[in-house]
Amino acid sequence: MAKVKVENLTKKYGSLIAVNNVSFSCKDGEFFSILGPSGAGKTTTLELIAGIKKPDSGDIYIGSSLVNDLSPQARDVAMAFEKYSLYPHFSVYENIAFPLRAPTRKEKLSPKEERKRVEEMANLLGIGELLDRRPQHLSGGQRQRVSLARAMIRRPQVYLLDEPIAHLDAKLKVSARTTLKRLSDKLGITIIYVTHDYKEALALSDRILILREGIIEQVGTPEEVYLYPSSDFVGRLIGDPPINLIDGEVIKKDGKSFFKVEEDFSIQIDQALVSSTEKAAWEEDGRRRIRIGIRPIYVKVSKEKLSDNSFQLPVYAVEHKTDSSIVGFELKDTFLIARTEERVNWRMSEKVWIDFEQKHLHFFKKTVDVSKK
Amino acid sequence: MRRVMFWIAVVIVLCAFILPIAWVYVTSLKSPEDIFRPEKLAFLPTLYNYKYIVTVRPSLLEFRNALIITLASTALVMGVSLPAAYSFARFNTGGGHLLFITISTRMFPPVVAAIPFFFLFRDWGLLDTHLGLILLYIYFNMSFATFLLYGFFREIPEELEHAAMVDGYGRLSIFRKVIFPLIKPGAAITTVFCLVWAWNEFLFAFLFTRRVARTVAVGLAVFWGSIEIQWGPMAALMGLAILPTLAAAWFMQRFIIRGLTFGAVKG
Repeated sequence: MAKVKVENLTKKYGSLIAVNNVSFSCKDGEFFSILGPSGAGKTTTLELIAGIKKPDSGDIYIGSSLVNDLSPQARDVAMAFEKYSLYPHFSVYENIAFPLRAPTRKEKLSPKEERKRVEEMANLLGIGELLDRRPQHLSGGQRQRVSLARAMIRRPQVYLLDEPIAHLDAKLKVSARTTLKRLSDKLGITIIYVTHDYKEALALSDRILILREGIIEQVGTPEEVYLYPSSDFVGRLIGDPPINLIDGEVIKKDGKSFFKVEEDFSIQIDQALVSSTEKAAWEEDGRRRIRIGIRPIYVKVSKEKLSDNSFQLPVYAVEHKTDSSIVGFELKDTFLIARTEERVNWRMSEKVWIDFEQKHLHFFKKTVDVSKK
Repeated sequence: MRRVMFWIAVVIVLCAFILPIAWVYVTSLKSPEDIFRPEKLAFLPTLYNYKYIVTVRPSLLEFRNALIITLASTALVMGVSLPAAYSFARFNTGGGHLLFITISTRMFPPVVAAIPFFFLFRDWGLLDTHLGLILLYIYFNMSFATFLLYGFFREIPEELEHAAMVDGYGRLSIFRKVIFPLIKPGAAITTVFCLVWAWNEFLFAFLFTRRVARTVAVGLAVFWGSIEIQWGPMAALMGLAILPTLAAAWFMQRFIIRGLTFGAVKG
């Protein structure tokens, strides 16, 4: 196992910059996720590390050696591809055993040892029954597990997994996630894991890197990126229902700071938070504008008045979960979503009190569009 | 009613294909006297014509020539076209221009190339040699084979090669273990096309050979003399000459089906 370090990595496709000056370092034995929406440059980053694509600039280190000029087969990495890329003319067994038979790897297993290794891995991923089949006779989920087994069969310096469980059905996903986590903990292996699903990233990773259009938005532990998103983009990417992002104005009156959303509501901002509002706020048409972010679970709603700082809005819609409700309110530009701790049965247009847990308020610059249209 | 029309159409098409072949074999078994009495349906079959083409004229030599030239030219064409098409498909070698130039050799009437080639071959002493005809067939078949294989290579997703690279294989072993097994049906079709074309080629074989390297296709035309047409022996030789191509067509048909559904194999 080895650490992976990437410095100032840039890759262009024509005029499109897929990966833009990305630097990060993944520690030995770390489960490192790259999270981002499609087109963020996640797969390209992985392909650059694997050596399938050549970077336009920047350096890649695996362990302590610079691997820029090494071919993929010389880099000692394993990769699971999002499109599976199984060999159609091989059986499942041969597909999984293929990396073990590679001339450059010098594994030199006897057929018996090879069969043992392959069967062990196949059973772990629940495809032990399928070893004699051809990939074209498998379902999408089965193919994906074969692809994962092929990637995990060796002990390379680093595993590169590109959406390895994205196409499994919900139940299998959970068990595959557990298997992966178990493997990574037991073997202490270095994994770079690409996903667009924040749940996978939060559940598995030691650290998460968030990419947006080829640029790093944030790197941090799952707690950090969830609790302290560095931008409205990160906040929006992680969490369901997504974080509320509300644009408004900072107003100073009698030494106090207020956050005001035209027509809709106005709240006083805790003194402790004033300095962070100053950092995030910007001037627009002579006003101090700011965007606040608050997760729906920290939006308190009640029939009774909650505090002096709470305000009233009419209910737009109520959606029920098994043990809670999602209450929506309509603002001028966007929706405000609250997640209650218990199920509520409020009617449309009923006025309820709303209060923000101020220690969970985030202040952002405006970088994503959240208008309700 | 539609079924009836369907079967009528099938019968018409079958007749169009089968009657000439049937005529060839029937004629080849007739004695010279019977050939010009078509009103006489029943006749006594004879191997006279087959004996004639084996003993009286050098038909076996023509067969051997055609076989040597066909096999050699096809082997060389495939040896060059396989890597060339792979390179065009995977690396876009020459930015598309090289592929176009390769194909463009099939865009003018072949006879246009005949005169320059004739003078060139005369100066190099390649007229009426096996090597001369092999070179010519390579020239004509290579472009076609490369273009056909290019299409098959394009069908193989690049990701498969990426996977094999990461799995620890170099370019050559990837080609051998992953790409070639997948291209096999396509390569088989291409090979058969080249074989059939080279076997049947008449114009260049006629212009560039006299006696030593004469192929079957040219040999067939020799029965058409200035005094008489030897229908019987000609039909016998025809009957033998089309056997390899019939075999090739039979062999090819299952591969054509597989070749056409090739895209569905993707992993």
